[in-house]
Amino acid sequence: MSEIIKRKISDALDLPQDIILNVPRVVVTGKIAVFIENHKGIVEYNSDSVKINTSVGVVCIKGKQLLIKTIVADEITVEGEISAVEFEE
Amino acid sequence: MLLIKLWHYFFGYVIIKIVGEYAERLLNQAALQKLYLWDIKRENSNELTAKISIRHFFKLAPLARKTRCRIRIIKRVGLFFAILKLKRRKSFLVGALLFIAAVYFMSSFIWSIEVTCPDEELKLSVIEHLRQWGIKEGIFKYGIDKEYYIDKLLTEYKDLAWAEIEIRGSRFIVELVKKQLPPELEENTPCDIIASKDGIIEEIIALRGEALVKPGQTVSKGDVLITGKVTIGQDVSNEEQNGGNTLLVHAEGIVKARVWYQKAIKVPLVEIKKIPTGNSKKSLVLQFQNHIFNFHLGNIPYTLYEKKILKEINILPKPVGLKLNMVEYVEMETTKEFLGVEKASRKAEAYLLSQLEEISNENDITQKKMEFMLDSDEQSVIGSMIIEVVEDIGQKKQIQ
Repeated sequence: MSEIIKRKISDALDLPQDIILNVPRVVVTGKIAVFIENHKGIVEYNSDSVKINTSVGVVCIKGKQLLIKTIVADEITVEGEISAVEFEE
Repeated sequence: MLLIKLWHYFFGYVIIKIVGEYAERLLNQAALQKLYLWDIKRENSNELTAKISIRHFFKLAPLARKTRCRIRIIKRVGLFFAILKLKRRKSFLVGALLFIAAVYFMSSFIWSIEVTCPDEELKLSVIEHLRQWGIKEGIFKYGIDKEYYIDKLLTEYKDLAWAEIEIRGSRFIVELVKKQLPPELEENTPCDIIASKDGIIEEIIALRGEALVKPGQTVSKGDVLITGKVTIGQDVSNEEQNGGNTLLVHAEGIVKARVWYQKAIKVPLVEIKKIPTGNSKKSLVLQFQNHIFNFHLGNIPYTLYEKKILKEINILPKPVGLKLNMVEYVEMETTKEFLGVEKASRKAEAYLLSQLEEISNENDITQKKMEFMLDSDEQSVIGSMIIEVVEDIGQKKQIQ
């Protein structure tokens, strides 16, 4: 099924897009925490940047004193002084 | 989240150091294998620290080998490890327990005796007396019978209105309240002598003051018998006009009067007696304050029984009040005995005579009348007694 049809179904049935389209869900809590659901693993982890692989590319979290609070198969929580969340193609 | 933290603390976790260039790969592998890692922190370019539960740690080791990382345990946290540590340090554990036991042991002695009372003199005297009776520093506190010492204090010191003994921790605290004695009429206070009971005057001797009643006269309670108002001069009518003729004195005298007492008793013709059958059963009862927990071995097989406390064991003293009692249940049997009018009367008489003795303590009995009659329903005998005694009914009362 193509992307467009999927998006239309999700629109029509009012279904959450992250489930239908298989995209990550990124929740940013203030400047202190980023929660990513449906990730595909850590690419790189440093105390000032965390790169996380997802289906739409690499999500890059920048900041200071970053800490991976929890990591399980499809969820990851990063805490610290967050300054940017970028999507890299 | 707190629950999860508690869970981890309870079962124990380890803080590990992951050394290797591909530490991220290890994290991904662990996540895929459903191994839970938390608080992952970058220490330097090829070192991470993380926390992991013990069970998951053992599964992490093979993954580490695959991803060419080295894992080292930095710290072990949790109750599991704490217990493990204690197991190795047996003498420490013994010491800790001994310490608790020692504190408990030391706190079961009386270490200070305090008396709270505004009167310094009484305070010292009470402490002195308590020492004589065996309340000293260093005695065991559980065996002390507080009631006994309260009674002893109250009998020793007549001017105490109230005494309370409290054992608070290792302190023995005596609280005393002194009696406010009614002011005794002093020798020279003017007073009357009044009747304390109804009666007929038998004899009146006024030692000081003026007798107002004559032998043979009936008086009722509260009447003035000897007045302290003495009139000087013969003319009574004059006295009222110029009150200077009246002298107030402290009346004194003996007033003996005949007084009656009445007593009655009802004795049923059929006497019901409880006699033990000889069967009994013992049981343990745990008493916590007023709550009672029974450890019966089955139900008590008796329809009628009496409970006797054989032994009381104080497990924890008063504020907690935990007791273990040894209780005996004694089976009883009721027997009916037909006394008959004769026997019932004699029983009533015995009771009345014992009452008589009480009344006639030091007074003369002038008349005694006893009557026995059958009750209207013919089920019991009523014994009644009227006695007449001569006693001093005089009572001093201050003239207002």
